[in-house]
Amino acid sequence: MKLITAIIKPFKLDDVKNALNAFGITGMTVSEAMGFGRTRGHTEVYRGAEYTIDLIPKIRLEVVVDSADADKVIDVIVKAASTGAIGDGKVWSVPVDHIVRVRTGERGVDAI
Amino acid sequence: MGTRERRERSDASDRELADLFHGALAVSEISDRQIALAAVGGFGRGELAPGSDLDIVFIHVGLPENQLSAFIKAMLNPLWSVGRAVDYSIRTRAETKAVSRGDIKVILGLLDIRHIQGNEDLTVNVSMDANKQWRRRIRTYLPMLRETIDQRTRTSGELAFLLEPDLKEARGGLRDITTIRSLAKSEFIPVALDRLAASESLFANVRDSLHGVTRRTRDQLLLTEQDAVAADMGFGDADALMLELSKAARAVDYVMQLVWHRIDERLHRISRRKDKRIPVAKGLERFRNEIGVIAEYDIAADSGIGLRAAAMAAQRGVRLSLESTIRIAEGFKEISTPWPRQSREDLVALIGAGESMVDVFESLDQEGLIARWIPEWAHVRFLPQRNVLHHHTVDRHMLETAVHAAALTRQVHRPDLLLVAALFHDIGKGYVDQEHSEFGAELMLPLAKRLGFSDDDATTLAQMVTHHLLLPTVATRRDLDDPQTIEYVMSLVASAELLELLHALSIADGEATGRTAWTGWKAGLVETLVKRTLAAMQGIAPAPQPELTPEQLAKAAKNKLTVEIFDRGDVFDIEIVAPDRLGLLSAISAVFTVTRLDVRSAKTRTVDRVAVMNWIVSTDVNVQMPSHDGLVDLIERALVGTEDLQVRIDERIRSYRRRPGIPVPPPVVSAITQIVTDATIIEVRMHDRPALLHTVTTAISEFGVDIRGAIVSTLGAEAFDTLYVTDLNGAPLTNDHAHELAAKLEIILTSQD
Repeated sequence: MKLITAIIKPFKLDDVKNALNAFGITGMTVSEAMGFGRTRGHTEVYRGAEYTIDLIPKIRLEVVVDSADADKVIDVIVKAASTGAIGDGKVWSVPVDHIVRVRTGERGVDAI
Repeated sequence: MGTRERRERSDASDRELADLFHGALAVSEISDRQIALAAVGGFGRGELAPGSDLDIVFIHVGLPENQLSAFIKAMLNPLWSVGRAVDYSIRTRAETKAVSRGDIKVILGLLDIRHIQGNEDLTVNVSMDANKQWRRRIRTYLPMLRETIDQRTRTSGELAFLLEPDLKEARGGLRDITTIRSLAKSEFIPVALDRLAASESLFANVRDSLHGVTRRTRDQLLLTEQDAVAADMGFGDADALMLELSKAARAVDYVMQLVWHRIDERLHRISRRKDKRIPVAKGLERFRNEIGVIAEYDIAADSGIGLRAAAMAAQRGVRLSLESTIRIAEGFKEISTPWPRQSREDLVALIGAGESMVDVFESLDQEGLIARWIPEWAHVRFLPQRNVLHHHTVDRHMLETAVHAAALTRQVHRPDLLLVAALFHDIGKGYVDQEHSEFGAELMLPLAKRLGFSDDDATTLAQMVTHHLLLPTVATRRDLDDPQTIEYVMSLVASAELLELLHALSIADGEATGRTAWTGWKAGLVETLVKRTLAAMQGIAPAPQPELTPEQLAKAAKNKLTVEIFDRGDVFDIEIVAPDRLGLLSAISAVFTVTRLDVRSAKTRTVDRVAVMNWIVSTDVNVQMPSHDGLVDLIERALVGTEDLQVRIDERIRSYRRRPGIPVPPPVVSAITQIVTDATIIEVRMHDRPALLHTVTTAISEFGVDIRGAIVSTLGAEAFDTLYVTDLNGAPLTNDHAHELAAKLEIILTSQD
């Protein structure tokens, strides 16, 4: 199993959600996030010397999938989240050892 | 479930404790004459909810430590080992007396003491002591009690308005009922206990059901449990259950208010303090830190008295007297439609008072006044909302939004519209098959017109209700870098003024909803959207200088002082034409201050060295409109400077000096120089206060600039002044000069605030 994390532009959430639903994934965790990558937000001169880097609002989306589906799911997210402009975000995956559905106690792929 | 079950549960616990008691006596070699076991609190009243703690006390005759500890171990270990929660204390009669002297919780618990086992005399004595002490020392206990109630309200909120209320601790809940019973026992004041019975049994039954459904002892009724509890108790749905709970809590809270009111009355009567009744406005007086209606005042002849009293109380941060509220409701006189200016301004001043508005608004609502003024309100009263983001019922959410909006009044050009929209933005909620924003706007438009807003303002208010979710929705769902997003917002929001208002409303609405609904993340996105849209709209153009009518121009051509006074019912319209000179506006506003005329709005314009001014003023309660000749005489003296007006003004301001009122946002002064015009524009936004205009205009004149025109407005309790200034040669100020002036003026106004 893999945990796929995607950092995307806020307004792309609906598109990504719909694309993942179409792929058969219905559960996901979404949180509000702030950050910057290569775009670095805006750099501003503040009182001469200091500068601040504005953190840019993003959405962090997490979904656990069967390892076999991981590459396809990443493709789905990337395609749906892309605008072609700078700051579209990142997607990555990491292996997951255990997963348990709290209500039923099901484990492994059954719990996804 | 019900009283019988709670009684049975209590009886069963009694038997269990009695067995343990006798066993423990044997182990510790204590005789049953030396100690007593008694129940206190709810258990003392013989009512035990399924998961409640056992509150018990042991009263002994002064036994040694080792015997007592052996006794306690033997008595309570069996209970603890099966996980029963027991709250106990062990004391002699004298110790009990000493502890309960300074501890309000202990004394309250002891008032309900009930003997279970052992030497009954010990229990009876403690009970007698407690009741005696409670009655005798009630004046010492009352402040402690009030503090615990306030503390509880701060942490647990009000049952009637919470979507997930704590049945026990929230205001209007079970603990308040117990408190009221204790107050009745003090015999300090009479209490209508029968008015509590229905609420008490509802709360207790809901709590039992909740404990049964969750198999826990928690008293907070969460959204996820409301359906199950409603079904268990035979309610149609969770909303029906919550509505009944709200009403029951409101009834309890009302009795509580009455009780404290009587207590205060009695305390004041006893202290024989000389309370002065100070008249504060027409028909109103301040008495014992409350605003009330003067006894002989004819309420039935004055439709504006209710809102005037409410605005006065809220703006001063004090309560509205209960008797007066009841009198106003009894002598209710409908406000004519559309509302007169004064009533509308009083409503705005009430809404804009921040935190202190909530209590005043609630007391009006309790007497049914709000729904009589604004019938649309009746539908949202206590209306629950099934929404995980919200904490409050619809009506309380709107009040909270208005409280947050009051802090944002400096950010907009029309604070009155912001406040009114905040109070009514969800007025369309709770109608089947209606989208609440759209339907709310349908209700808002005629409502705004009834309140006396102009057609344009009413349309703006309706648009604010329609689009109150637009900015957060677009900001989080659409690409802010895409010009189409900005165009979309501009297609719905016609003007920069409306956008500015919607922005402030979004913030107030979000903050009132809760931290989960309004994060820095969302606020940042909304701000970016607003900035970009405002830039596309090229900002807000300041109002142009007032135009003069041909008649006014003709008067100006005569170049001499003329004064005309028109009576407009609740206000006077004064037209003054005078040759211009440095400090003219300051001198005229000084005259108004000295004659105690309150400037509500003004428009002035100087052409060819003659100033034409239109003033709308209202009179102070204690004075009459000065005669025409008297006014002319004063103005003439002010203009030549023979009158030492500043001294009289300072006196005037001192006599007006307010008692500590409510916290208000600091003044904001901005200079606008980019717009091409023949004058520099200075905008002053601040809370209204006596002689404000005089302070502003004097400061500007002292800076060596000339005031060419002014638009002065008072919106409820907020003042918004636009001043058109030039240097002494009649040219607009330089950028630096203008900003320096604005900064200096802001410092002056802030330091005096």
